[in-house]
Amino acid sequence: MTDNPRMQVPDVTAQERINQIEASVAIQLDGKLAAVRDRIAGAFPSCEFSGFRGELTVTAPPDVLVDLLTFCKTDPDLSCELLSDVTGVHWPGGVHEHQGQETTGWPTYTIEQAGRIDVLYILRSVSRNHWFRVKVSLPDEHAAVPSAVPVYRSANVLEREVFDLMGVRFEGHPRLERLFMPEDWEGHPLRKDYPLGGVEVQYKGATVPPPSERQY
Amino acid sequence: MSEITEQRRDLAAVPEFTVVGADWQELPDAVEDDEMIINMGPQHPSTHGVLRLVLRLDGEEVLDCQPVIGYLHTGIEKNLEYRPWTQGVTFVTRMDYLAPLFNELAYCLAVERLLGISDQVPERAQAIRVIMTELNRVSSHLVGLATTGMELGAISAMLYGFREREYILDIFEFVTGLRMNHAYIRPGGVVVDVPDGFEQRTREVIALLRTRLGELHDLLTQNPIWIERNSGIGVLTPEQCFDYGITGPVLRSAGVAHDLRKTQPYCGIDSYDFDVVTHTDGDCYARYLVRLGEIEQSLRIVEQALDRLPGGPVMVADKKIAWPAQLALGPDGLGNAKEHISKIMGQSMEALIHHFKLVTEGFVVPQGSAYAAVESPRGELAAHVTSDGTNKPYRVHLRDPSFVHIGALPALAGGLYVADIIAAVASMDPVMGGVDR
Repeated sequence: MTDNPRMQVPDVTAQERINQIEASVAIQLDGKLAAVRDRIAGAFPSCEFSGFRGELTVTAPPDVLVDLLTFCKTDPDLSCELLSDVTGVHWPGGVHEHQGQETTGWPTYTIEQAGRIDVLYILRSVSRNHWFRVKVSLPDEHAAVPSAVPVYRSANVLEREVFDLMGVRFEGHPRLERLFMPEDWEGHPLRKDYPLGGVEVQYKGATVPPPSERQY
Repeated sequence: MSEITEQRRDLAAVPEFTVVGADWQELPDAVEDDEMIINMGPQHPSTHGVLRLVLRLDGEEVLDCQPVIGYLHTGIEKNLEYRPWTQGVTFVTRMDYLAPLFNELAYCLAVERLLGISDQVPERAQAIRVIMTELNRVSSHLVGLATTGMELGAISAMLYGFREREYILDIFEFVTGLRMNHAYIRPGGVVVDVPDGFEQRTREVIALLRTRLGELHDLLTQNPIWIERNSGIGVLTPEQCFDYGITGPVLRSAGVAHDLRKTQPYCGIDSYDFDVVTHTDGDCYARYLVRLGEIEQSLRIVEQALDRLPGGPVMVADKKIAWPAQLALGPDGLGNAKEHISKIMGQSMEALIHHFKLVTEGFVVPQGSAYAAVESPRGELAAHVTSDGTNKPYRVHLRDPSFVHIGALPALAGGLYVADIIAAVASMDPVMGGVDR
């Protein structure tokens, strides 16, 4: 161990270190979003809240999602007229090793996680001038969540996109069909476990490897 | 019951004809309700791009309109996950190809927020971003007006619109080296400072555009055919706009003064003096007027930004994020500055290593998600960026306003005539590159 303080590894577990870093970079929510958080917390005690970089994320169980969206739309203090965006992030299951980098202070750590898909709803209020994110975590096998179309009709195309590219089923959606990919396409390309093809080139049977295996 | 149906009924009363091979009496029976399904597009000169509309028609009247998209889907969001953060700019710029600088800006704002350097971006870079994006808004609106004119048969409007746009693309080429798909705005600032003579040239173009816009205004605003084709067509109320997630000029044409430049300002754009143009009719003609007004407001912003363009660097001071070299124009095009090359090749081994690591691996972005929205020419354009703490994005999603607006076409088209569908779609100004991504 060197005397250089930058090279010394602190005596904490990887997860604690991550929590420390996250706490140090998180900015306190401004008063407006804190009021939004308190308002939702009062009506939906099962929701969890997190703030990062000044953004509010409301994590909701799937069964209260439609009620929560309806509340956000109709409540006069929230009055979220716009469902701006619906998107998903896939976190596949298994053991993942994160390569730490000395220059950034991020440690190397291994996490084992169950596969999940986070479906994210961006709600924006024009009259109150705030926005926040509603997150629903689903198991990535047979992911299904109630559709938001009865509350916001903009969810129609947005949910179809998430279904097409991530494979999340939105129960009660009026027309859950593929949107971008051909109708007979197999798989959902934006999932992390979607196999990527390489490219064959006309030189002694060589191939260009798929992007996930390239070394650049 | 429409008039056409009545006429068809009368035809059915005509004495029957029996034709060898088919009993033609069956035809009027079969089309008793006069419904037919027609494919419009995808290769249609008036559908505003590679857009296919499946129309259910009763004569000329549209009962239902289902857009079919995906013809330009190129998997940009997936591609981004296998490239370093900086290279992502070259991908997102190709989404909405009429507003490339807005795509870059939304992506870079989100990455900067994750990096925690939003307040470190130099003022000069912020001002250049404002100038470039507002010029881009003008060029995008000009194309919107030009293609609308072409689709409604006003070819001269198209010629004038594209001609005026070319002056702005010349400025873009002057600054970034490319007319479109610039990859000019990068996380931390902009890639290169504006060249000498930029200010004077831009002022000349603004003065020219002011007179040319007057010509476009004279040509169209009081034109009886233009009014006939646009006025009262495709009306959307504010409630409908909210329900379908519509933002931008279409929402403002319905009377809602919602503009992210005012409510959630970025790059200090709220410090400039400009108005949010609104209208109350909510029809195609109102959208045309709003776009014309926004061009004028954008020119105002550019003039103010040129007046007080601050000096200083155009990239963050953090050497672990900033591109190591200032770019310079050499005999073979834009490249690393000569002084930088001679330093890393001849004087400093550490500088060479640093350059190599940053250019090949890029920088690392802390874990987390960020959603950054800008007011693009079509509405709320936002990047939802997720990082898992590596040198590549874990997931990038762009919320493109064109895509959300396409979802409102069924509501917009119901009850219109086929010819009015063209005006209605054109007034939404969707760009299919942004819709399909």
